[in-house]
Amino acid sequence: MFESDGSRFAELPAQDANNGENRGEKKPPIAILGAGLMGRMLAISLMDDYQVFLFDKDSKEGQQSAAYLAAAMLAPLAESADCSKEIMQLGEMALELWPAFLKKVDTPVFFQQKGSLIVAFEQDKSDLNQFKSRLKGRDYKRLSDSEMEALEPGLNQYFKSALYLPNEGQLDNRQLLNSMATTLNDSDVFWFDSTAVESTASGFQVKGQPLEIFLNAGVNDTFDWILDCRGLGSQTDAILSEAVCDAASDIASRTSKLRGVRGEVARIRAPDVHLTRPVRLMHPRYPIYIAPKGDGLFVVGATQIESEDSRNPTVRSTLELLSACFSVHSGFAEAEILSIESGLRPAYLDNKPKIIVKDKLISVNGLFRHGYLLAPVMLQQCLNIVKGNISDISITQIMPNLVENLSAKPRR
Amino acid sequence: MSNEHNVKDALNIYGTKLNSRLLIGSSMYPSPSVMQQAIQASGAEVVTLSLSRQNPQASGGQAFWESIQSLGLHLLPNTAGCHSVNDAVNMAQMSRELFQTDWIKLELVGDDYNLQPDPIALVKATEILLGEGFKVLPYCTDDLVIARHLVELGCEVLMPWGSPIGTGKGILNPYALQAMRDRFPDVTMIVDSGIGLPSHATQALEMGVDAVLLNTAVAKANDPVLMGQAFAKAIEAGRSAYLAGPMAERTAASPSTPTIDSPFWHQSA
Repeated sequence: MFESDGSRFAELPAQDANNGENRGEKKPPIAILGAGLMGRMLAISLMDDYQVFLFDKDSKEGQQSAAYLAAAMLAPLAESADCSKEIMQLGEMALELWPAFLKKVDTPVFFQQKGSLIVAFEQDKSDLNQFKSRLKGRDYKRLSDSEMEALEPGLNQYFKSALYLPNEGQLDNRQLLNSMATTLNDSDVFWFDSTAVESTASGFQVKGQPLEIFLNAGVNDTFDWILDCRGLGSQTDAILSEAVCDAASDIASRTSKLRGVRGEVARIRAPDVHLTRPVRLMHPRYPIYIAPKGDGLFVVGATQIESEDSRNPTVRSTLELLSACFSVHSGFAEAEILSIESGLRPAYLDNKPKIIVKDKLISVNGLFRHGYLLAPVMLQQCLNIVKGNISDISITQIMPNLVENLSAKPRR
Repeated sequence: MSNEHNVKDALNIYGTKLNSRLLIGSSMYPSPSVMQQAIQASGAEVVTLSLSRQNPQASGGQAFWESIQSLGLHLLPNTAGCHSVNDAVNMAQMSRELFQTDWIKLELVGDDYNLQPDPIALVKATEILLGEGFKVLPYCTDDLVIARHLVELGCEVLMPWGSPIGTGKGILNPYALQAMRDRFPDVTMIVDSGIGLPSHATQALEMGVDAVLLNTAVAKANDPVLMGQAFAKAIEAGRSAYLAGPMAERTAASPSTPTIDSPFWHQSA
């Protein structure tokens, strides 16, 4: 029943934009739930070979997505101080995959791989030493005063010690989300924005109808695959975990263990501040990055609080973020605060990502604070599953527990 | 911990008997599942947890708290981050409602940089909370007079610091702790904060301290689970040593076996 027999989905009204060269050809249908980072990347990567139906409860700006808020650091080594070695290795792999993906989108996206600096005040020096001892790779260098000054002349003179991690990168997340939206709008992908998908006992539904009915499809029409990338949006599936025994509920019993980890991020315009690479400041509670995104824009984040509190940022967090900025560079004093926002990162209890496969349903979730760090690798693994490319074990070799297959027997 | 003394030798917290003499914190671990494993490995039966910053009014930390509650251990809510008597009392009341326990680790920050407890506010808040039926475990310095005030108010547990929170410097003033131990032999005494190494915990238990409470030493270890095990062993060793009664220290060497080839009057004293 899962083999594609070509799309019999009723002809849907074409989107306004140019539908591309594939119009008229029969491509097997695929549904993607959630148009955050993973959903958009999957849609772009699959749209040539599949008729993609993309559903998202949010607008195309994607403001509810964790990806919208993120500082989009690509810092596998720095992150390794607090995550497993396997995530570091996948992050290194992903860093190499990003440039190729960015070529697939229509407008340029700021991407940089000039390394990052880790700094600490004199009284927090032991935190820097501890940080160094926790790194799971060796590609770093301790900088002297003069080396630090040569690298980032604008940095506060109080910093006497720093680590330089030459391979770390970053990108501009909002540029990327926008660019992917433009690319998708110009494609033949059907993007149902502001359209929530709900899990019910009989499968996924939109506006009270099964997905296929909603799309005016015939009774026997089925998606080749359904890719669930809803992040915390799939948390509500918890009610399904009991009694009901379909693919969605099986996965739901696992995704119900997702939790939100609160983060707060400031975006600041500071034309007087000249930093060329992200600076990570030792902080007793969470890593705070000040990431220059070009054009005087800085993203400062993020707090990390074990709470699903969805309020706006608190005064305390705001003070912490802004004083971190000010302490790194006094030029931030006259900077313009563009926004301070809060959001929740979807995480499993081990803070590791998981791809769960059940029959034709694939759930990608739990990317935690590592969305941009890991996305290209998650994407590749999903494509491997969709395309039956079982010979590529480069990813599962590093993280054997990444993919959990709940299907009765292997699909192919 | 498997210990033959356990049957008779239990830790007493307001009448609750516990086998483990380790109380452990729940923050700063790399992930909730590492936290769960490390706590289990440590053998601790009491876990501290905090409401601060999680917006408990909206059950903000629910998912995280559940990962602690699922361990089935005694919960010891704390008032970390509170600076005033009012704040601490409010947080204690909120914690009691949320976690269904009248235990409270009362912590009042008196100095922001080393998180030194404010002894005066502590005594005031203790009086209020004991009056409301709380079982107060006060985090205090090693000051004997403050300890006496707390005990006179009705505290059955004292939690003096070894050194400031998160420093890992161990027991900076053994004399003061020993004095407190000797003056309050019937009060349950728990060294809270400053423990960085298992040997620090052993030292505390050897002195006759009843238990230790720690967080950073395990949570920030490169391998928290292994460090949890290390503390379990260290604490068991320290307690056994205390019960066994250590030998008396002496200034000169004394061979445990007389050397047979020299007359005893030639052997050094």
